[in-house]
Amino acid sequence: MIPSILFQIIFIPAFIALFIFLLRYQVGKQAGLVAVIGLAYTTGLLLVLLSSIYQGDPIKIDYPLLINPDIRLTFLVDGLSVAVALICNILCLALCVYSIKYVDHRVEVIYEGVSPRMETSYYVCFFYLFLFFPVGFAGVSFAADLIVLYFFLEILTIILYFLLAYYGYYERVKVATMCLLWGMFSAVLVLAGILIIYSQIGTFQIDEIHRMAGNPMAFWAIAIILLGLFAKIAIIPFHVWMPWVHSNTPTSIAALLAVYANIAAYVIVRILVLPLWDDFMWFGPPIMVLALITMIYGSLLTLAQTDIKRIPACSTISQCAYSMLGIGAMTAASIEGGLFFFLSHIMAKTVFFSTAGIVVYVTHIRDINHLKGLANKMPITAMLFICGGLMLAGMPPFSSFPAEVILFYGIFERADTFSITIGIIGLLAILLTVGYSFYFTMKIFFGTMPDALAKKDYIKDPPLSMTLPLIFIVVLSAFLGLYPAFILDLFEPVISAAVANM
Amino acid sequence: MEIQLAWLCLILPFLGVMLTPVFARINPVLRDYGAVFFSFLTAVSALMLLPALFTAEKLPLESMVVWMSSPMQLSFGVLLDPLSIIVANVVAVISFFIMVYCLGYMKGNPSIMRFWMLMNAFIGSMLLLVLANNLIIVFIGWKLVGICSYGLISFYFRDERKYWIGGPEPFKFDKPTECGLKALVTTSVGDMLMLGGLLIMYYYSGTLNVLELYETAPQWIPAMAATPGMIILVSILLIAGPVGKSAQFPLHEWLPEAMSGPGPVSALIHAATMVKSGVFFIARLIPIFYYAYWTGGVEEAMYFFIIVAWIGAITAFLAASQGLVALELKKVLAYSTVSQIGFMMLALGVSGFGQDILVKGYSAGIFHLMSHAMFKACLFLCAGTVIHAAHSIYIHDMGSMRKYLPYTWVFMGLAALSLIGVPPLPGFWSKEAVLVATLESHNYALFAVAVVTVIFTAFYTMRFVGMVFHGSSSKHMRKETSKPGHHVSEGYFPQTFACGALAVGIVIFGILGLKAEYALNSLFEIQLVKGLALSTVEHIYSYPKSMVVAFSIGSVLIGVIPAYMFYVTQKWNPAVPYERSRFVRTMHTFFWQRWYIDRFYLWLFADGIKRFASSVIAARFEKGFDVGINYRLPRAVVKGGNNLLSFIRADARDMSTNIAYILALTIVILFLALIRMLT
Repeated sequence: MIPSILFQIIFIPAFIALFIFLLRYQVGKQAGLVAVIGLAYTTGLLLVLLSSIYQGDPIKIDYPLLINPDIRLTFLVDGLSVAVALICNILCLALCVYSIKYVDHRVEVIYEGVSPRMETSYYVCFFYLFLFFPVGFAGVSFAADLIVLYFFLEILTIILYFLLAYYGYYERVKVATMCLLWGMFSAVLVLAGILIIYSQIGTFQIDEIHRMAGNPMAFWAIAIILLGLFAKIAIIPFHVWMPWVHSNTPTSIAALLAVYANIAAYVIVRILVLPLWDDFMWFGPPIMVLALITMIYGSLLTLAQTDIKRIPACSTISQCAYSMLGIGAMTAASIEGGLFFFLSHIMAKTVFFSTAGIVVYVTHIRDINHLKGLANKMPITAMLFICGGLMLAGMPPFSSFPAEVILFYGIFERADTFSITIGIIGLLAILLTVGYSFYFTMKIFFGTMPDALAKKDYIKDPPLSMTLPLIFIVVLSAFLGLYPAFILDLFEPVISAAVANM
Repeated sequence: MEIQLAWLCLILPFLGVMLTPVFARINPVLRDYGAVFFSFLTAVSALMLLPALFTAEKLPLESMVVWMSSPMQLSFGVLLDPLSIIVANVVAVISFFIMVYCLGYMKGNPSIMRFWMLMNAFIGSMLLLVLANNLIIVFIGWKLVGICSYGLISFYFRDERKYWIGGPEPFKFDKPTECGLKALVTTSVGDMLMLGGLLIMYYYSGTLNVLELYETAPQWIPAMAATPGMIILVSILLIAGPVGKSAQFPLHEWLPEAMSGPGPVSALIHAATMVKSGVFFIARLIPIFYYAYWTGGVEEAMYFFIIVAWIGAITAFLAASQGLVALELKKVLAYSTVSQIGFMMLALGVSGFGQDILVKGYSAGIFHLMSHAMFKACLFLCAGTVIHAAHSIYIHDMGSMRKYLPYTWVFMGLAALSLIGVPPLPGFWSKEAVLVATLESHNYALFAVAVVTVIFTAFYTMRFVGMVFHGSSSKHMRKETSKPGHHVSEGYFPQTFACGALAVGIVIFGILGLKAEYALNSLFEIQLVKGLALSTVEHIYSYPKSMVVAFSIGSVLIGVIPAYMFYVTQKWNPAVPYERSRFVRTMHTFFWQRWYIDRFYLWLFADGIKRFASSVIAARFEKGFDVGINYRLPRAVVKGGNNLLSFIRADARDMSTNIAYILALTIVILFLALIRMLT
């Protein structure tokens, strides 16, 4: 095996970021390419790691940092973490390729008139900040220690703040601050919960949390951490930041924002559901109800939007709740389905969001009432938007279909009236996703193009560097849809073992 | 060998999809003929499955690979039994003729590559649905045909005026893309509920493999029946899918608008294939519910049959009534399709009403499926040629076209006679089989509805044939034909050939009608009674068969004669009863407005949900959350902080007050600490 493979996966993007930062003027416009190479390398490493997980047992790596309190840099590679890390890393890679042209354009728009040196500096800055996303996602995925997990979650919040403030749209600094405050709100609660756990078991190790099972304080720890993570995953009423932040982020990281939100589902499973199964049981039904309300509310909210960037933003509120619905149902299948849906959703959102971004990038128009018939001039973009819609709506052959099947099977597996009712309403809620995905496709891409748009020669499909990564994600999602066992066989041992121990 | 052929049936169309862009780069002719060639190969593969029916005792055959082993055990494979072989042949063969027709119909269309890809994808998905061995794979095929049909209905995505349907002025028009969306969303309602039904069934049975479901029914049906109401719930959920896909009441409203796609698409989706998938799926489920009721003694299982039969009967009647007044040629055919599928559902529904009627009802449903696929595909293809020639979608813009389209007149006429139920065409035999099954089930209300529907069918069919081909030319036609070098004539050769081939098929199938019915009866006897060991008893006819024939022909005459007088000979004037009778006018409006169901759905679901989303969810709830949490809360925090600061500042003039506060606070804390220590 490659030496320190896990260490490389997590920290190489950070080293590359440092490298780009130090040599920013020398690297210049090649910064994107350097970042892409780095991420391609870590993706390769993740594939190696994945194959070794397929063949063997989970790997745990331990670097003690502090003895009292016991804080160690501990990472765990199992089927669950490696799958999440791999998909997140691939999305980062795809979006990094997408960013090469996009950021150039964005810097031109925002920092018009600055000196070439400053322009280069802004361009490069995007990439060295961007590279902390894969660091954060890999860290969160592999963390086996609560403080390490918290640390990487916080990295994401901070990086997001800077990227939003530098490259966002309209009131970007205000929105960045809003995002940071919500991130902090969430973080404080998560930290409080972590400290409660530490006070009871005397360690931050995630695989020791189960010792707290049955402890009355477990209820409070779960409640507080859940509250914090609800704010991250945008469960009603903690969703209010999502439409603002998502719609104003630079498009190339907007999809990563969906990952940032939805990865909370993974964290909940990792640190609460699996170790504290019985204590978590109480929270199941309320989570299901809240998730269902959020699913429907988010979809209806999406339907009411006229700003093309707010459409995927509001859709994220709804889609993240699917994972929560699965988690709330608390069966092995529903949790696997919920997590698989998380991966499917972030792929779908990458395509959907980035395509919406392409429309803004090309037409400079955000109000969909002024957009019509774009498929005439942008057929590839239209096709990608439709694929994004299909991926969101859980249509075969995309991975969200098997994910939804498993998720809802897990809900029906509970076999009580409450769960069956929730399951059927949940299935019907998918109709809203189908409705808005294709309603907006019709509004934006179909019909006769108005003269005002038809005359504009610059309205055409964007360069391949923006569409190819998205096509790759569509193909990846179709592959996982046709061969879901690739992911599910990774999830299965982890979830089943944990559930069997309960 | 058969199994390999079945796999080929699945692979070939998708291969066609993938190769079409490659062919398009080489040569446009290769692209077009290449696409049709793959559908030809598919049809040949399907036809080569037919010999297996002669040795039906060896069926079913199955081949599969594991698709998912955890947390659900699902396989992906093909299943060959009489039902799947028959329906696969209907799909593959008729699709091939439709593809041939497209060679002419779509000639010169700039988006033809997309068209071929969608058509082949559609055929492949449909065959996946039919041949799948597992209900979840059936569902995948089910969803894929839905997506392809969305793409094909919205094919003219630029929404040019000439592709709008609906109207005529002052009535509303529908654009192709709106129609596609409507079809997708409406059918999805059923799909989602059906998925729920499948998953609940999986929970009890532990499998969705069709054969395993049949085999293990004695174990899982009692478990499911132990929960009161569960069988009824699952029945409703499972029926919802076919109701959506086969455009049955109450989810039938998408199909009339689905006519906005190209003519052959209407034939493919609305005659031969997609709308039949619901009937096919119900046929797949019948052994399970039949077993549950007649062997397992589960009373609730009868609801499955009652619901299916009544939905079929209501839909047949409702859609036929709308066909009486429709003015768009393809819409008349669409209503007719909805109505005829109702007949199929009715036959399948009554098959569970008695132990003696299972095979009769089951084979009547499938027989009608086969004959209808043939004559309706022919009707739609001919309609495509007619509309193309007349440059209008309305039948009142046509008239006397027989002289311009003599071949089409013959072919469409034959298909129409079959739809009416004129002997010895296949429509007569299959409709009669449905009527016999219904009457023999002793449900006279259902039989009465069916007979009235036969009258309506005869009337509207003769009406459109008369208005299109006979009578005097309309003003529009006179204008069209007066243009120098007008195009009011037959279409390209492939179009006429395809229609002709189907018409010949109709005649042959009609001549062999009785034999076909007998063959189907014995095939399903082998599949259901011998193969699946469903308990049946021999049927003893309660009524003479001649009575049903008399009912059938009598009803046809009651419908045909007035229509013939009104629209063919034009000796009677339809305007007279309309103007004289208020009842006729009211009913006309009621039928024209589609019983106001479409309007109600539009108001409640399409507009209602959008209005609710923007005026309640976005404008009230979200704004409330936004203002409350994003503005008022931070402002309150800031204000509170400021107030505190100013409060402290104000009292800073008097230091002693502050000290007093601090002291008081310290005392309270100490006091609390003391209590804590003492307790």
